Amino acid sequence: MTDPHRTIDAVWKLESAKIIAGLTRLVRDVGLAEELAQDALVAAMEQWPAQGVPDNPGAWLMTIAKRRAVDHIRRAQRQERANEHLAHELRRLPEDADEQQTERDDTLRLMFLSCHPVLPAPARAALTLKLLGGLSAAEIARAYLVAEPAIVRRIAEAKQTLAEHHVRFELPDETHMAERLSSVLEVIYLIFNEGYAAASGDDLMRPGLCLEALRLGTTLADLTPDQAEVHGLVALMEIQTSRAVARTGPSGEPVPLHEQNRGRWDQLRIRRGFAAMLRARQAGGAPGPYVLQAAIAVCHAQARTAADTDWPRIASLYQALVRLTPTPVVRLNQAVAVGMAQGPQAGLDLVDALTTDPALQHYHLLPSVHGDLLLRLGRRHEARLEFQRAASLTGNTAERAFLLRRAEQITADEPAGATLGQTVRDFLSRPDLDPQTLRSYAQTLRRLCLGLGEQTPLTSVTADQVTRVATTAWGRTAVKTWNRHLSTIRSFATWAGLDGLAAGLQRRPEPRATTKPDGAAPLDPLWGRSDLPLRERTLWSLLHESAAPVSTVLSLNVEDLDLDDRRARAGRTWVTWRSRTARLLPDLIAGRTSGPLFLSDRRPAPARTPAPADLCPHTGRRRLSYERAEYLFKQATRHLDPAGNGYTLRRLKPRDTPGRYP
Amino acid sequence: MRYLMTTRATDTAPAPDEKLYAEMGAFIEEMTAKGILLATGGLEPGGIRMTSSGDEITVTDGPFTEAKEAIVGFALVEVRSKEEVIELARRFRKIVGDGVSEIRQVFGP
Repeated sequence: MTDPHRTIDAVWKLESAKIIAGLTRLVRDVGLAEELAQDALVAAMEQWPAQGVPDNPGAWLMTIAKRRAVDHIRRAQRQERANEHLAHELRRLPEDADEQQTERDDTLRLMFLSCHPVLPAPARAALTLKLLGGLSAAEIARAYLVAEPAIVRRIAEAKQTLAEHHVRFELPDETHMAERLSSVLEVIYLIFNEGYAAASGDDLMRPGLCLEALRLGTTLADLTPDQAEVHGLVALMEIQTSRAVARTGPSGEPVPLHEQNRGRWDQLRIRRGFAAMLRARQAGGAPGPYVLQAAIAVCHAQARTAADTDWPRIASLYQALVRLTPTPVVRLNQAVAVGMAQGPQAGLDLVDALTTDPALQHYHLLPSVHGDLLLRLGRRHEARLEFQRAASLTGNTAERAFLLRRAEQITADEPAGATLGQTVRDFLSRPDLDPQTLRSYAQTLRRLCLGLGEQTPLTSVTADQVTRVATTAWGRTAVKTWNRHLSTIRSFATWAGLDGLAAGLQRRPEPRATTKPDGAAPLDPLWGRSDLPLRERTLWSLLHESAAPVSTVLSLNVEDLDLDDRRARAGRTWVTWRSRTARLLPDLIAGRTSGPLFLSDRRPAPARTPAPADLCPHTGRRRLSYERAEYLFKQATRHLDPAGNGYTLRRLKPRDTPGRYP
Repeated sequence: MRYLMTTRATDTAPAPDEKLYAEMGAFIEEMTAKGILLATGGLEPGGIRMTSSGDEITVTDGPFTEAKEAIVGFALVEVRSKEEVIELARRFRKIVGDGVSEIRQVFGP
């Protein structure tokens, strides 16, 4: 019959959210909760194959995990007699009338926790699939086409970040609800799209992500029935799923919506989508981005044939969506809808405005949509070039074949003369170019071909087109890079006898000095922030006042410090500081006599015990890592950085005071 | 993957009581909330039988003699794996007591 381990895995996936959520409430630490749950799973692996699966496997796992939690808390209490609350919680019997409500709230809390905005988006998705979907790191890695250790690391770092930010296991209050909920919805939709993007030949784990996302969405909708956007997301996912089979042809090529066989749309999913949409309407409020996208999907699902599609309504929904989320992709979709509702010229006007957006320069659907509109306007030759260009931009083989076929089907009078692509190939096969120059030339000209189309006749290429492609591709690059591309285009134009092609492009002056990050960053606001953790403030202050390298400062030990003389021995040299650091240090040391000065927030897991020199003898914590310190600083300075990235720790080193650190 | 679970009538099946209804209600609610259960229902005992043979189509009203073998209920579920649907069916059978269920994967649409 079935393999007991696979049975246990199926049970685990059904129950993990409830178990981990319940344990997190008890021990207030999601990392620990997961370890306890894993212990219970190991016990199941040992006992179930021999004794059979218990009647209520979820409750069985929970009982074992709670027992481990009690053991853990007793050990902790022996050490510091802490946490009356835990002991009380554990004594509580589970038949409480509110138990079911508590269970539901716990699951919701866990969702908010694993999708917390302090985590980067990929970490949120991985953690959510692990904790709420019960997927193993190996399964997540397969689904995302990355190596397993990368996922293991991502999840471990996510849990560490949550602990370091003291993220509480609680429901957000009303003022933060909308923001926190949109973070959860974003994660679920990201997971869904990752699965939806999978090709038919892919590992089944990838399309499986759609099912995981649907389950997460449905569960969330059940827990937050008054949130319209949640129902909107569920409706959107249900309707998109309904077309899963119809959207690829027999050889894996994509079938556009208007050509899909509507008889293959899954009516059950469509009706579930409609029902979710009704719940969204009942919840009320101004439609958000998911409700609008779902409403568009509903329009398509309601049309019995492609010709019946209510394009004016879809165009107006896109207009509302563009107001909320004016991303280039949404604007491109709006152009498609407007092209259908008001005619190709109206759509073309919108598409033309997008051709200079750097975010879309590699996006094959832009020339593909452009080609469609041109074809409908009878500009056959241009349309054909756009389809060829779209084909050269897509990474999907089936899609490339499909686009090339579209190009071939267009019969257009072939203009005479050499094409851009052929001329570029001739130029690059000159015998007098050394390999390095050749590589550099090829890079520039390849981009030019992708931007203009290889089949474009050379004589029809204009200086304006070249300027547009170059500005979109390299307009924001470093001056040197810009000038390098420019020289290549000039050489090519001269060689091809079309000197005017580079006329719209200007060389940019190169700065004399090396381009170091400009001056001292405006970090003054940091020093007044008493809300930031003491460790961070001390580290930053010390880096700033000592001008010492980051790794040197992080390697300092408590026993190296000479507080009276405001200096510390670091190898064969000294790190010195001034009054601000001097004020902070005593509190940070807090009675410690040895070990690393800057410590991480959590004790390392038993399997990852660091070298003794990096372990604090007082607290058992390990030395703060460079990566972690850097990350925290970036987080804290994100709002100070005009680029929104946050600064690196090196920025703390004053540039106008050389030599204090020898 | 989608599966259809059908349940057959048996002589020894216990008559449903309050407890069974409550447990079954909670089970259906949980499976629906998770998005696993797509559709479920009970079926009338007799029904209509249609037989075609050559050009001839015969319509017969039930009940039929082999009523024991009749399907009395169904559930359509969307699951991650065969093991998951077996686990769900196991929970279902624990609630309803003696009897037989059949599980088959659904292809299409």
